[in-house]
Amino acid sequence: MKRKLLAILMAVCMTATFVGGSTAVWAAQEQSTGKDEVIVTMPTTSEPEAGFDPAYGWGAGEHVHEPLIQSTLTVTNTDLSIGMDLATDYSVSEDGLTWTVKIRDDVKFTDGEPLTADDVAFTYNNCRDNSSVNDFSMLKEAVAVDDTTVEFHMNTPFAVWPYTMAIVGIVPEHAYDENYGQNPIGSGRYIMKQWDKGQQVIFEANPDYYGEVPTIKKVTVLFMEEDAALAAAQAGTVDVAHTAASYSDMTVDGYDLFSVRTVDNRGFNLPATAAEEIDGVTYGNDFTTDVEVRRAINIGIDREEMIQNVLNGYGTPAYSVCDKMPWYNEAAEVEYDQDKARELLDAAGWETGDDGIREKDGIRAELTMLYPASDSVRQALAEDTKNQLTELGIEVTTEGVDWDTAYTRAESEPLVWGWGAHTPMELYNIYHTMNETGLAEYSPYSNETVDKYMDEALESSDLENSYDLWKKAQWDGETGITQDGDIPWIWLCNIDHLYFVKDGLKIADQKIHPHGHGWSIVNNVDQWSWE
Amino acid sequence: MKEAATFPEKRLDVYTEKNFAENEEGYRKKKWNRRKTIIVLLIVAIGFLAAVCIGGFFCKEAAQVTDFSRKNLPPCLSYPFGTDWLGRDMFARTVRGLSISIIIGVCAATFSAVMAFILGVVSATMGKTADAVVTWFIDLVMGIPHMLLLILICVACGRGLKGVILGVALTHWTSLARLIRGEVLQLKEQIYIKTAKKLGKSNLYIAMKHMVPHLLPQFIVGLVLLFPHAILHESSITFLGFGLSNEQPAIGIILSEAMKYLVTGKWWLALFPGIMLILTVVCFFTTGENLRMLLDPASVHE
Repeated sequence: MKRKLLAILMAVCMTATFVGGSTAVWAAQEQSTGKDEVIVTMPTTSEPEAGFDPAYGWGAGEHVHEPLIQSTLTVTNTDLSIGMDLATDYSVSEDGLTWTVKIRDDVKFTDGEPLTADDVAFTYNNCRDNSSVNDFSMLKEAVAVDDTTVEFHMNTPFAVWPYTMAIVGIVPEHAYDENYGQNPIGSGRYIMKQWDKGQQVIFEANPDYYGEVPTIKKVTVLFMEEDAALAAAQAGTVDVAHTAASYSDMTVDGYDLFSVRTVDNRGFNLPATAAEEIDGVTYGNDFTTDVEVRRAINIGIDREEMIQNVLNGYGTPAYSVCDKMPWYNEAAEVEYDQDKARELLDAAGWETGDDGIREKDGIRAELTMLYPASDSVRQALAEDTKNQLTELGIEVTTEGVDWDTAYTRAESEPLVWGWGAHTPMELYNIYHTMNETGLAEYSPYSNETVDKYMDEALESSDLENSYDLWKKAQWDGETGITQDGDIPWIWLCNIDHLYFVKDGLKIADQKIHPHGHGWSIVNNVDQWSWE
Repeated sequence: MKEAATFPEKRLDVYTEKNFAENEEGYRKKKWNRRKTIIVLLIVAIGFLAAVCIGGFFCKEAAQVTDFSRKNLPPCLSYPFGTDWLGRDMFARTVRGLSISIIIGVCAATFSAVMAFILGVVSATMGKTADAVVTWFIDLVMGIPHMLLLILICVACGRGLKGVILGVALTHWTSLARLIRGEVLQLKEQIYIKTAKKLGKSNLYIAMKHMVPHLLPQFIVGLVLLFPHAILHESSITFLGFGLSNEQPAIGIILSEAMKYLVTGKWWLALFPGIMLILTVVCFFTTGENLRMLLDPASVHE
């Protein structure tokens, strides 16, 4: 009898967790009352684990955004060109090895100390030595020449340096220790007032801010999952609730759905070399090593249909890792053509077998499509890709994986990735080969010409001109990474970032969001207003 | 108890005609006794479980198929359990998930029960040191919170099917082992065992010939009663994300996915799979309990 009771109890408990889970989170929150305050929800993964320290990922990590608490030297404008924040002027030497940046002299940290070039130099040297999330290996040393001039000496030319300067928040040398992330002091628009780990962060406007006075005086950020955020919106306790496409058909009284265009893309890699085992890890894939296969897959996928299916229409087709960025090459765009995809496969000798699956020289046209197990959107994309590729005669099995095995397995099998950042370095990270292996980092691929263009782009002394080289790296008329080139990655869609926004709140124009459905929305929270 | 008490009373009246007729009826009623009820229940439970298993075998393909043209459908005639956000048929997924759970449960419980049997017998027959070691192990495993140990073992064994089966198997043997040890200790004092010993039979012979047949009923009942535990633990560990990978239609996965969509009013995603899980568990329980009643003569007093 006791056991019976136990079983029933367990069953009841399991059901109760479903209902209980979402209610607990927002029960404690109070409603924002003033007309200069906002409450914004973000995914729990947006909470900076190591605190608000730029060296450990605040603003400058995998998901780039403006650091709010700290000032940056430059900023990215809405058109993704470079604007100024602390910097008044910057220049680079002819050889690309020395950047000289002039900074404002009227900026104070919130503890009253002035911000000088020493602080800037300290910040960058600290990032170079300690950054756990960004690669600062190109920086040899940052030197404060005088109070308002900083010089960055580089190991190698790095033309996209201004984009790095746009995400590194300047920390005070005098108030920086290992606990800085928990209790940050900066010179930015907001001061961090309170951080309840696992729950919320409260920011208040910096009264001594040197720029325009923020209209929103208090920003509360709540960390919760999408279902809890939706429940919070339904209860009316938050002003901006992040949400996912699968919830976009919900209507919430008093809220409108607000969607932001992004370069938060999803795509998958196709290993471009033949399978080969090195140190117990398989690199390459015998099926996708055939360039015609990759081309057929690229045009054989109906991106529009996929966006309707998976994203309820809230997305744009993606053809590269950097759609809509100033360095994007339109040659990457392709048209969906299933018949032509079949022709390509036929011409390349992939003959349809008895079971409808193609085959060539004993190799079956089969793929295992991996996706991060916790991400339902990527799972849906993988499933839809499977359905579409089956029509081409390619057998696909899907498999959810953890990140600790995903990177290794992606060296031989396609994985659904998410990328997109406000810097051309994204192209470099994905397509440029590494010295040690001679292959690109995330998926085996190499093309000397592509490498050469990117190297040249980084060596270029003029940022605007380097865009052309980045474009050529994608397609120069003969070779590249597009449909007519090697096409080692297939890009599916850019996912719109969706929010339920309370009526009356006017969210300022957003620049195209990068990867990460978190902090980007509050980049310009200081310019939001209530009507 | 009741039946035994009333029986003799009725016997006294057996000769009056009126009572004879009544008794005839009562006798016919008695034909449908508890034993039969138990057997019918057993057959129903086993039938249900077999149906789920066989259904799961045929649903393998259907449970994986995604079709975006039919996503988020509430329960209807063609999809009795509705469909989810990928357009997967929840009925096929539930049946397949349950059959996976049952297979895992059967594997893990059998493994666990065999382990318990061997350790229990070893502990009781192989001398004090062996007894101390086994008892110490039982206390050790019982001392660590069940779920925690399960997660630890499962993750250490690389998750997936293997991890879950090993995890469940290595955590569930303790109580049965204890039971069997006690039973064997008791048996050792029985006259016939002692006689056998005096007659010079080897320990192994006594264990195989005299003890095992005596222990079998306890063992079988213990085994069947382990199933529901194993199934519930498999689904909870998968629900928590430490078990099976999430492209598989395991019941824990179905429930944890459903949780995300409950807030949007898609109740069918959690309700039907949940009910089916409970039904399965209850089925195993009734099977186990009824088996116990059939096999254990002492249960007549309950």
